[in-house]
Amino acid sequence: MFYKIAINNVKRSFRDYSIYFLTLTIAVCIFYSFNSFEEQTAMLEMGKSTSEYMLTLNKLIAGTSIFVSFILGGLITYANNFLIKKRKKELGIYMTLGMSKGKISRILIFETLLIGLVSLAVGITLGIIVSQGLSVITAQLLAVEMSHYKFIVSIGAVIKSAVYFGIIYLLVMIFNQVTISKYKLIDMLNAAKKNEVVKLKNAYVSIFFFIVSLIVLAIAYVLILKNGLNSEGFLLIASLLLGVFGTMLFFFSLSNFMIHIVQKNKKLYLKDLNIFILRQINNKINTNFVSMSVICLMLFLTITLLFTMFSFKSTNDNMVAGNTSFDASSVLIAKNENLEENANDIETFLEKIDFTFEADEKHTFFSEYKLTLTLENLLSNYLSKQEQKEFQESYMLGALSAVKISDYNSILQLKGQKPKELKDNEVLVVSNYGRMNQALNKFMDNENTINIEGKDYAVKNDAPIEGNILTTATALTYFYLIIPDNFSGELQLDKTGYNVMFEGSDPKKSEEKFTNLFSSLWEDSTVDGTNYLVLGNTIDQVNTRVHGLSATVVFLGIYLGLIFLISSAAVMALQQLSDASDSFERYQSLRRIGVTEKLINKAILIQNLIYFAIPLGLAIIHSIVGISMVNEVFKAFSQGIIGSSMLVIISTLLVIYGGYFYATYVGFKNIVKSRN
Amino acid sequence: MNSILNVEKIEKYYGYKGNVTKAIDNISFKVDKGEFVGIMGPSGSGKTTLLNCISTIDTITTGHININNKDITVLKRKALENFRRDELGFIFQDFNLLDTLTAYENIALALTIQNRGTREIDRLIKSVAKKLEISELLNNYPFQLSGGQKQRVASARALVTEPSLILADEPTGALDSKSARLLLDTFEKLNKEFQSTILMVTHDAFTASYAHRILFIKDGRIFNELIRGEDTRKEFFNKIIEVVTLLGGDAGNVL
Ligand SMILES: Nc1ncnc2c1ncn2[C@@H]1O[C@H](COP(=O)(O)OP(=O)(O)OP(=O)(O)O)[C@@H](O)[C@H]1O
Ligand SMILES: [Mg+2]
Repeated sequence: MFYKIAINNVKRSFRDYSIYFLTLTIAVCIFYSFNSFEEQTAMLEMGKSTSEYMLTLNKLIAGTSIFVSFILGGLITYANNFLIKKRKKELGIYMTLGMSKGKISRILIFETLLIGLVSLAVGITLGIIVSQGLSVITAQLLAVEMSHYKFIVSIGAVIKSAVYFGIIYLLVMIFNQVTISKYKLIDMLNAAKKNEVVKLKNAYVSIFFFIVSLIVLAIAYVLILKNGLNSEGFLLIASLLLGVFGTMLFFFSLSNFMIHIVQKNKKLYLKDLNIFILRQINNKINTNFVSMSVICLMLFLTITLLFTMFSFKSTNDNMVAGNTSFDASSVLIAKNENLEENANDIETFLEKIDFTFEADEKHTFFSEYKLTLTLENLLSNYLSKQEQKEFQESYMLGALSAVKISDYNSILQLKGQKPKELKDNEVLVVSNYGRMNQALNKFMDNENTINIEGKDYAVKNDAPIEGNILTTATALTYFYLIIPDNFSGELQLDKTGYNVMFEGSDPKKSEEKFTNLFSSLWEDSTVDGTNYLVLGNTIDQVNTRVHGLSATVVFLGIYLGLIFLISSAAVMALQQLSDASDSFERYQSLRRIGVTEKLINKAILIQNLIYFAIPLGLAIIHSIVGISMVNEVFKAFSQGIIGSSMLVIISTLLVIYGGYFYATYVGFKNIVKSRN
Repeated sequence: MNSILNVEKIEKYYGYKGNVTKAIDNISFKVDKGEFVGIMGPSGSGKTTLLNCISTIDTITTGHININNKDITVLKRKALENFRRDELGFIFQDFNLLDTLTAYENIALALTIQNRGTREIDRLIKSVAKKLEISELLNNYPFQLSGGQKQRVASARALVTEPSLILADEPTGALDSKSARLLLDTFEKLNKEFQSTILMVTHDAFTASYAHRILFIKDGRIFNELIRGEDTRKEFFNKIIEVVTLLGGDAGNVL
């Protein structure tokens, strides 16, 4: 008997709360997709370090999943509590009909079970489909090849989703039992009759609160913008707390403030159903100001998170360009102490540790020198204060590096490029500083010579040559002057190094050989009691470090962003839909006094639009502040990112948040539709 | 033919299959323009149902209802809505006030949906409120009003648009005799000055005595009809009491 009741209830809920089901299903789908990551990416062609990186990424996703399950747990409990409250009356009637509390509990348990199983099954099925695309995206992000395509079902992720959501549903069941046991029959029967307690707040008090909230928010914005992320921990926390407090105060006072303002504007107030719409919204925002604030902050986090993610990725992509020309590179940092001859020469060093290149590991050696000329001197006329600061913060000021043309040409030849000719009084500029700011470009445009120690050298190229002389993951910005072999000025040996190209049939073997070499040298490069500093990277290591980092940020950003977004949109939708069923009688009243269906639909649209737009609006304003702060950090290398990333963020918001809005609007209309 | 309302052989069934209630069972009558008609009958006799059908809130099962020579049973939805908005003032038995709106706003709504100007709206509300003595209550919410006050607000909402047809379902049911008189005077004034047609359901013989003609309904049928003619209100009142007693109504209800 009660199974029947439960199934009927669920059927009805499917109609009234399809949005709740949808959200659960999407949540399961997202959860599955990200947790199936490990198996999904197993088919990718990955080097040793990429594989190691994948392990870390998987651990990170697993950790994030725990956080996500807390958020989803909160969402599901909230939604469920909401639905139970709405059904107090129905449950009360069951009880007056003689149904025991135990039986009602069992109905609820069975309902939760049914909802849980259906959403889990559908969600996982969807997840399996969606996650197939994940491996393709991962391959792109990590710049690795996808050798073959396979349809993969991750049993591990299925079990994990089932267990995590199982636990959430179990907690919800327990929660329901506690709630039910606390209800008194009389309250349950009277639940629907509750009087609208309108907080008759003084106009001036609400206006005062509203203005205070704006001031608090303004202070928080100013604090953040002025001090940025570099501010002391205390200031940052203080401004964040101010932001949260201001947001809550904003939503607490907003609706009353709005009413007083609109009431002043009679043209607006006494038009169509505006009176009614205003009161509907007022009630909702006022009673839900806490959840409105939370939603606003979650939307803000989502937008800022996604933007940070894009900036980070774009910065990384931008910086790594030209830094991965060789399959492996290594340098020995020169020491200036009195050492035996060739002590700073990496070729000699390799001999000492008995390292030999295979025939198909084509390589060239080079030396890098420091000039007496510094970057500040060189660009002094073209550096603004701001740019000077940027260079300083990136540790790029100081003596300039130089490479002799013969070394440079052998590097070019290894890359398969044509060597350059350089006269004795000429130099070449090789740098990607132009990507950071305009100082170097302006210099190149305006100056034809560089003066080094009193001697003028003609700059042979018009624009800086982009393309690093080695493969590196750490020093992604570079500046070299290519000098003639018989350069007469003072030169201080800074580094010696080599580049390798793996041209054999089994590049993976060489890759592994060099990876092992570099990591053993990283741990210990003491030879004959002398300590050398030798650094090296294979291209796979660079890709892992650079692309891996952006991939991590992108994946976690999307994962959290999506969860935040659907959670907040779902709460909004539930609140509106429950309002719809509470307001059914009101819409009937309107119809009886002759309000047209068209006006009613318009009122519903406006009401939902305002309700969805308000937290989003404030979140957008918050985000503008957050984004300008993030942009400050990344702006050096992610110029022009705002436009394109905003496009993506706005379309994401439009599709998900807008989708929820539309579904709510349609559902709302259906609920208040006249039933005779 | 100057009959504003022409009800022809209407029937209204509630429920379906074996379990049918005949709320209205073959009722026909006419109301002329400017007439003030009372409807009386025991509880459950179908009075509210009749008003709901006339006001197009509910639909009839068979028969025709003509208003201004238009058959509203075949009118399109939009035309129905416009008719309800512009021609009709309905005072509901259960007031039908919006709990989230103040008295002022409840009354204003009837005007804003007609796209009236803001000044006019304010003026009309103030004047109708004065007539029904609710000026002091305009800023109260329905839950802050007594039953009688709510009824007067509901009446104000129905009358403020000066409709050509007023349907009133027990408009004095919750009023003391003074307030009832105020409301009925307003009815009379609208009826005389604007030729508003009034159709009023009541259990109260005093209230009914304001009408020109009374239809008595029992079990969904018209059972009797009383015409005031040249009678004074007092004489008419006595006649009404007689019929009510005949109907088996509770005489105590009537005093
Ligand atoms: N929506 C409905 N569904 C089913 N039956 C209904 C419905 N509305 C009214 N009825 C029935 O129709 C009959 C007439 O009801 P109506 O409300 O018209 O009575 P009334 O004359 O207005 O009574 P009262 O004086 O108590 O207001 C009653 O028997 C009632 O039970
Ligand atoms: Mg009735």
